[in-house]
Amino acid sequence: MLELRNLCKSYETHGKPRPVLRNVNATFWKGDAVGILGRNGAGKSTLIRVLAGIEPPTSGEIIRGMSMSWPLGFGGAVHGSITGADNARFIARIYGKPAGWVESFVEEFAELGEYFRMPVKTYSSGMHSRLAFGLSMAIDFDCYLVDEIVAVGDARFTERCRVALEERRKRSTLLMVSHQPSLMRAFCTTAAILNEGRLTFHEDLDQALAIYEAL
Amino acid sequence: MDGYPPASSVPQLPDGSGPPPLASVSIGRPGPGARLLAGLRIQLIVIGAVMMREIHTRFGRHHMGYLWLFFEPMILGGCIAGVHALTGHGLPGGLDIASFYIVGYTPYYLFRSIINRSASALHANAPLFYHRQVTFLDIMIARNLLDGASVMIALLIMLGGLGAFTNHWPYDLVWMAFGITLIMLFCHGLALLIVSGTVYGTETVERLVHPFTYLTIPLTGAFYMVEWFSSEVQELFLLIPTVHMFEIIREGQFGPVVQYHYDLGYVAAWVMALNLLGMLALRAAKSRIEFN
Repeated sequence: MLELRNLCKSYETHGKPRPVLRNVNATFWKGDAVGILGRNGAGKSTLIRVLAGIEPPTSGEIIRGMSMSWPLGFGGAVHGSITGADNARFIARIYGKPAGWVESFVEEFAELGEYFRMPVKTYSSGMHSRLAFGLSMAIDFDCYLVDEIVAVGDARFTERCRVALEERRKRSTLLMVSHQPSLMRAFCTTAAILNEGRLTFHEDLDQALAIYEAL
Repeated sequence: MDGYPPASSVPQLPDGSGPPPLASVSIGRPGPGARLLAGLRIQLIVIGAVMMREIHTRFGRHHMGYLWLFFEPMILGGCIAGVHALTGHGLPGGLDIASFYIVGYTPYYLFRSIINRSASALHANAPLFYHRQVTFLDIMIARNLLDGASVMIALLIMLGGLGAFTNHWPYDLVWMAFGITLIMLFCHGLALLIVSGTVYGTETVERLVHPFTYLTIPLTGAFYMVEWFSSEVQELFLLIPTVHMFEIIREGQFGPVVQYHYDLGYVAAWVMALNLLGMLALRAAKSRIEFN
């Protein structure tokens, strides 16, 4: 279970606090697949980063009863000056997994060919996100935080991500932020809308999408 | 349709059970004592992993940068030794000139490298902070430890080479390593303060830090001995903590042939105070440091 209690986050701009998240309350359970909808700049990525523990909340509480992934995004967690294989071994070490196993898993999953042993900065954006997604799939988390990762892959890779996440759905929670209805339909069962710093939940995905479109 | 792969094409272990369990890093909520221990273990694992990664980025594939670690002190030591030899001047106490500058310059290189690169240390490692268990402090510790270790290894190789050619061998390597460790710890504390200062802008801090390291060249004590000055000047110089550390390093190289001046208590107080302040500053600045 993951619980958010009165979560607030604000940034300082021009000396004044600018609230991004205002009193967000939520509980997520094992097996949930929640899509968080929001316009550009609504605070979706901020929410994901606070949930992942990268940034502390300004006030409020996050009770993490499960292991949380890092935000799976456009490959922010991947280091550019070392190879894909080196990245895999690094991830393996800090998450306490056997380095050789993670390396071969990612190599097979990301299908990078000989690029796997070249510096990541030589990758195309599609290859970059394939590596990033492969890395995150190599570690078993209870809760996956997805920041529109699949948007840049091709159809074949998007399907592969969907299958991999689907398979994990039985034992994991999925929180995904996006402003693309098609991605929401592919991955999520329920949705929440983040608007003006407040998070409202909707049991029905289509209803949520309709409300979001009308915003 | 361009042939979507079937579900079974997702890589699996032969028995389909996912990764084999290893000594797992627990992220649950055990008791307070166990949590402290688990936290410490995670920190050690992370520091080790970051050091491995830093080794790849610095020494890996196309990066020859670290050859300068050998060249700079050797060129400086060689040139100054040459000038001294041509003009016929020796060092007071008849110390070997090349050894003197090598054991001065190489630890100074450590000082400069840690201080100069501290402001951008977090920025350069931004991707790592996507992982909750990687803290700012871990990165600083890993980088500075690696800096200390590589400078010690480089110095060892150079002193070995020098010994082979000139038969001037270090007197006490352990004591010299202790001196270098003091410099590393001192600079680590300072680096924590500098990186905390980047909340006021990384570029501003770098513009201040770089001239500072140049201006401190004559003040660090890397290239002179306290004994060479009058007692009033000595007193002033001994206010500077690094002066004591370089004296310790030289004592490790030359042994009891000249008079050294240092106060271990004074140095220890500086190192502890700087590290404590540095950690407090980093904690205060933590949420406001921009690393992206």
